[in-house]
Amino acid sequence: MELKAKIDQSCRTAEEFTKLYYESTDKRRHLISKLYLDNGLLTWNGNGIIGNERIQKFYMELPSTDHVITTLDAQPILDNAVNGQLSFLIQVSGTVKYQDKTPKTFQESFVITAQNDKWKIVSDCFRLQEPLNTDKN
Amino acid sequence: MPKPGKYNNPPWKKQFNNDHDSRGNVGDNNNRRVNLKHNRYPNKGHQKNWSASIRAHLEDEDVDMGSSSFDRQKKIYNNKRNGRTGSPVPHKMGERRKLLESPTNWFRVTLPYGNKYDKPFILRSLLERVTPIPFIPFAWRAAGNSATFFVDDYKLADKLNSLDRQIHCPDGFKLIIRVHSGSPNVDITDSLKETLKLTMAKRYNLANKALDLTKFHADPHLQDVFCALFKPIILLTVIEIISENIPELEALNLNENRIQVLNHLKKIDKKLPNLKILHLGNNKIREMAMLDPLSGLPVVELVLDGNPLCTKFREQETYISEVRKRFPKVVKLDGIDLPPPIGFDIVEEVRLPPSVQTYLCSAEAQNIVRQFLQQYFEIFDGGSRQTLLQAYHEQAKFSLTSAYSYGQTPKNSSWLSWYNTDNRNLLRVQDHDRRLKLLKQGHLAVVSFLSEMPDTKHDIHSFTVDLTLFTPQLLLLNVSGIFKELRSGHKSAPIRHFFRTLVIVPAGSGFCIANEQLHITNATEQQIKNAFKTPIIHTTQPGPEVNAAPAPVPSTSMVDGNTKQQMIQTMSQQSGMNLEWSQKCLEETNWDFNRAAFIFTELQKQGTIPAEAFVK
Repeated sequence: MELKAKIDQSCRTAEEFTKLYYESTDKRRHLISKLYLDNGLLTWNGNGIIGNERIQKFYMELPSTDHVITTLDAQPILDNAVNGQLSFLIQVSGTVKYQDKTPKTFQESFVITAQNDKWKIVSDCFRLQEPLNTDKN
Repeated sequence: MPKPGKYNNPPWKKQFNNDHDSRGNVGDNNNRRVNLKHNRYPNKGHQKNWSASIRAHLEDEDVDMGSSSFDRQKKIYNNKRNGRTGSPVPHKMGERRKLLESPTNWFRVTLPYGNKYDKPFILRSLLERVTPIPFIPFAWRAAGNSATFFVDDYKLADKLNSLDRQIHCPDGFKLIIRVHSGSPNVDITDSLKETLKLTMAKRYNLANKALDLTKFHADPHLQDVFCALFKPIILLTVIEIISENIPELEALNLNENRIQVLNHLKKIDKKLPNLKILHLGNNKIREMAMLDPLSGLPVVELVLDGNPLCTKFREQETYISEVRKRFPKVVKLDGIDLPPPIGFDIVEEVRLPPSVQTYLCSAEAQNIVRQFLQQYFEIFDGGSRQTLLQAYHEQAKFSLTSAYSYGQTPKNSSWLSWYNTDNRNLLRVQDHDRRLKLLKQGHLAVVSFLSEMPDTKHDIHSFTVDLTLFTPQLLLLNVSGIFKELRSGHKSAPIRHFFRTLVIVPAGSGFCIANEQLHITNATEQQIKNAFKTPIIHTTQPGPEVNAAPAPVPSTSMVDGNTKQQMIQTMSQQSGMNLEWSQKCLEETNWDFNRAAFIFTELQKQGTIPAEAFVK
């Protein structure tokens, strides 16, 4: 595929993907495992969870959320790095409310890859924008 | 009914009062009006109080203070009047006016000629005579001839009151002592705030996150200033200091501070979000409803004992339930364990898993990640970012997004306009060509953009690191943290937050970046507060490498001198390199022997090690 077309595709896929992803985390958590590879990885504020079933379990236990996206960006990952398998790097920033509490700012980064005819998350890295160890300093 | 005006100023009244003034040396409008009232309306209820307090005064009895404040004012007034009319006549023992208790129990002691004498002389003389009552004068002030100070104890105040004209001064006069109910006015100055802060720091228990402010005003550090917590402004300042310096506070003891009102503490739950233990014992809180402003606090242990409000409950159950209405999580009240409240099984609480600074999907990658970050940010902050050309893949892609974080606007935070020009936010940028153009492609384009970016200084302690993929083909690294923007035309250097995603691929003997996404926003207030503060635990450890260590695995850079020498020897023996080069190799790998050996083998294969390395 031509690079220009690939870049274009990465942007459109990112738009669709994030819409689906945040709807699922906010309202359809019981389906979230379908978005990840079987051995996909979520790091949530530095807590690593491996495997789509465990990721779903983790989400089910999280307080209810309401995400609002502020920025979105996407680019295709260099072919050599992914053995030519079509993969995109997606970065999101926005705010998330945990059970009607004051929204917090977050950033999240995904690698999604085309497996058969479905997009799957290989890696999902979520970070709230807040200082570390506030209770230690 | 006669019109009031007619009777307020009868022509003879002025005359009468003037006469009175000249005789008594004193007189004021209050005096006048009250006299008049009593002349005109002898049957009103006031008279009863009036005469009752006169009687009380004459009999020198302690008057019951349980009545309304109106009565109290009357009584105090009565004393003043009596003192005035009697003033030309020297006091005799037993006739002395009785000092009345005040709601706060603070008293102003005035020595009209006190400043003519030595302060130590006066204090010593008073101390001798009030013993065994503890004598602590607060906020000593001298102005002209007079000196004033404050005491916080009724017995002491009454005793001082009785010492009027009892002490012989060096110049032959007797010391005049006037005692009235009252507390000093306070202005919160920077120096007062600093004093408060130091005193509070002294009373803070770091291990328990507990601050003990029992009888705060009596702290030896606060003798010269007036810092009673029943003064709203002082309590407010104290809370402010806590929220600025120890927001993690879990226990606060405010026992014995004569606190009456708490209305000014409405936002306290935001300021002390972690407060679990609150002691308010032996204060002057009259009603349970007065605790309403505190009701947002997540308090599990509460002490209210010794407040007037406690006597208002006959049934213990009612008391507990009224407390729980305001503090539903309380399980210990006045030192007694309460049965746990019966709630619902669906948890309403928002409990998020605690954050972890670093996640590495592979421990092997620890050193690579550490070195990569160190080198990268050293160059990035170093001023010549052109050097980063080697750090990017020929076909590297880079894109930037930027937005204000929650609650921030260009008005209340530093502008992000520099970044907005190249902001590839796909939610805003819909045009395909524009999207393409904003994606920097090729290492020249990337590095030339990075070079244009404002100068920076990153706070490596603030970094979070997530390594989510580690395969022979790539590393996927997410880094977030704080940096300061230097020389960018802002009034003060803005503190920004970044979130960077890097796809790193092996290249030759090292690595380079194939894809990068960078998000920039302003740091939050909380982040700014913590920015560029070296965590305490690091200051005791040598070497800057340790601080950058992103992994929880014990750092190899803490290897001691002896071990290092041994490692150099072994390295030299195994590699054939001389000691100097062996050391270099080990230093570059942070004394990770296996890694050093590996790099040596790799470089040896490529034939890139200079011959001089083997000259012994």
